[in-house]
Amino acid sequence: MDAIIQTFQLTKKYKDETIIKPLDFSLKKGEICALIGKNGAGKSTFFKILAGQQMPSSGEIQLFGKSGKEIETAKRRMAFMVETPAFFPDFTAVQNLEYFRIQRGIVDKKRMYEVLEIVGLAHEKKKRFNDYSMGMKQRLGIALCLLSSPDCLVLDEPINGLDVEGIMEIRKLLRKLNQENQITILISSHILTELDLLATRFVFIKNGVIVDDLSRELLEEKSRKQILLTVDDSAKTVQLLERAYADIQFKVLPNQEITIQNYVERSGEINRLLVENGVMVKEFSIKVMNLEEYFLGLVEEDTHD
Amino acid sequence: MINYMKSEYYRLLRKKGLHLTGIICFLLIASAAGVLYFTAQSDPNFRYGTSTFFYSNVIASGLLIIIIGLLYNIALTGKDRYLIKQAISFGISRRIIFWSKLILTLSYFLFICIVGICLMILLGDNLLTHEHHAIRHFLMASVNMIPIVLSGFFLVHTLKMLKVGEIFIIIIVSIIFGFLGDLLHLLLRPFTALDELYKYAPDTMLNDNLMSFVNDTPELGFQYWIVGLVISGVSLLIGAKLFAKQNID
Repeated sequence: MDAIIQTFQLTKKYKDETIIKPLDFSLKKGEICALIGKNGAGKSTFFKILAGQQMPSSGEIQLFGKSGKEIETAKRRMAFMVETPAFFPDFTAVQNLEYFRIQRGIVDKKRMYEVLEIVGLAHEKKKRFNDYSMGMKQRLGIALCLLSSPDCLVLDEPINGLDVEGIMEIRKLLRKLNQENQITILISSHILTELDLLATRFVFIKNGVIVDDLSRELLEEKSRKQILLTVDDSAKTVQLLERAYADIQFKVLPNQEITIQNYVERSGEINRLLVENGVMVKEFSIKVMNLEEYFLGLVEEDTHD
Repeated sequence: MINYMKSEYYRLLRKKGLHLTGIICFLLIASAAGVLYFTAQSDPNFRYGTSTFFYSNVIASGLLIIIIGLLYNIALTGKDRYLIKQAISFGISRRIIFWSKLILTLSYFLFICIVGICLMILLGDNLLTHEHHAIRHFLMASVNMIPIVLSGFFLVHTLKMLKVGEIFIIIIVSIIFGFLGDLLHLLLRPFTALDELYKYAPDTMLNDNLMSFVNDTPELGFQYWIVGLVISGVSLLIGAKLFAKQNID
């Protein structure tokens, strides 16, 4: 059984509003899957349903191939951090982890200190949770996720509130857990550049619907290149381009800038055409869309639909 | 379930406020006994320096005891409720959470009640004018109170687990265990078939129990247990059923 998480026609309704529309999703073993969407797209609701915090209106969930009542046992192989991590404010990190260690039936007490070391809180273990910074709270949340040595991590905004160094450390940690311990990861974050550096698969969600689902390779392929031009006469440039290439796709931007979406492989030819016809090309570059631009393109495209 | 209960027990033991509440209750009991003792010593005409009067204060405080029970229940169902999501995401069922929190807070509450009763008997019997059968009557009246007070505790637990605010809980409990009998008596008087119903309201029964105690005629009554069981059963069944479907944020 390769699928860690599977959902079949999962829906969630609040009164008249449908937050999650029939959603089929599958997370395979070993993946680092980024769930990307704007606020209110349904990411957190989806995570909460997976965690059991909210009941789906319809549909089925399978975790490690188990469903129904067996899902509770399967969840013990998973760890969830949905929104802000919850701990006792008057307890120290060790007391909080001790509470969960007892609850989860983990015999080895040393595991608490190991996970605090992993997330860099080994020297802050006696501080009360209430006195922790946002970043430290997030780290303790990740420590809790690792406490029961899970096979799958489901993390909703895990780098929220972390500084640059912290973000980098968590990225390295997650990558290490995935590569060395074969832990499957489902993650969401508003920092798309981080997801771009980490994930092996990208799932885009909008208004409770998966609008795109692609591997890193496919994303790179689909993140089409485009030519960016800055010229002295954009009207003449447009005229020349349309005459030379009937189906050319371009956008005229302010400040005499033009972007060309196709014919990227014939960039040299386009440059020569403009120069030979007396257009001064001030800037000529080929751009690749990053994850953020791809996401925005997808969202805007979908909005027009 | 055992692991979940153990973890909640770990939390409960570290609730300083809860231990303090118990100590305050015991101090109030001791103070009341002390005041009665010293007043009786200084004023020979003081009629209330008796163990019966001392015990009657507890028999008359059914509603207050239920509200103290709320404080004990809140220990695991108040702000700590926010951590339930972690337990649920680990696969611990809502059913286990509902019953574990109830069993633990109830056990602690009962422990405090038992110690309180023992303390009262100890103080009443040694400091105040000893009256024949006072302890036996006090225990009989207390046994009659148990099902009503426990039903209040169960109702409080259900309401807390269903995220009802504390003020609202106090209002509901005050109505059911403080005024319901009078209310039913007033409203159902015109209906001959129902005009006796008020006698089975918790507050009426607590008052009857108190009157029997002060009149030295207490009797163990099965009606207390029937009413208590009905309120408890309905509260817990509805609570467990609704909590099993509740969204936890």
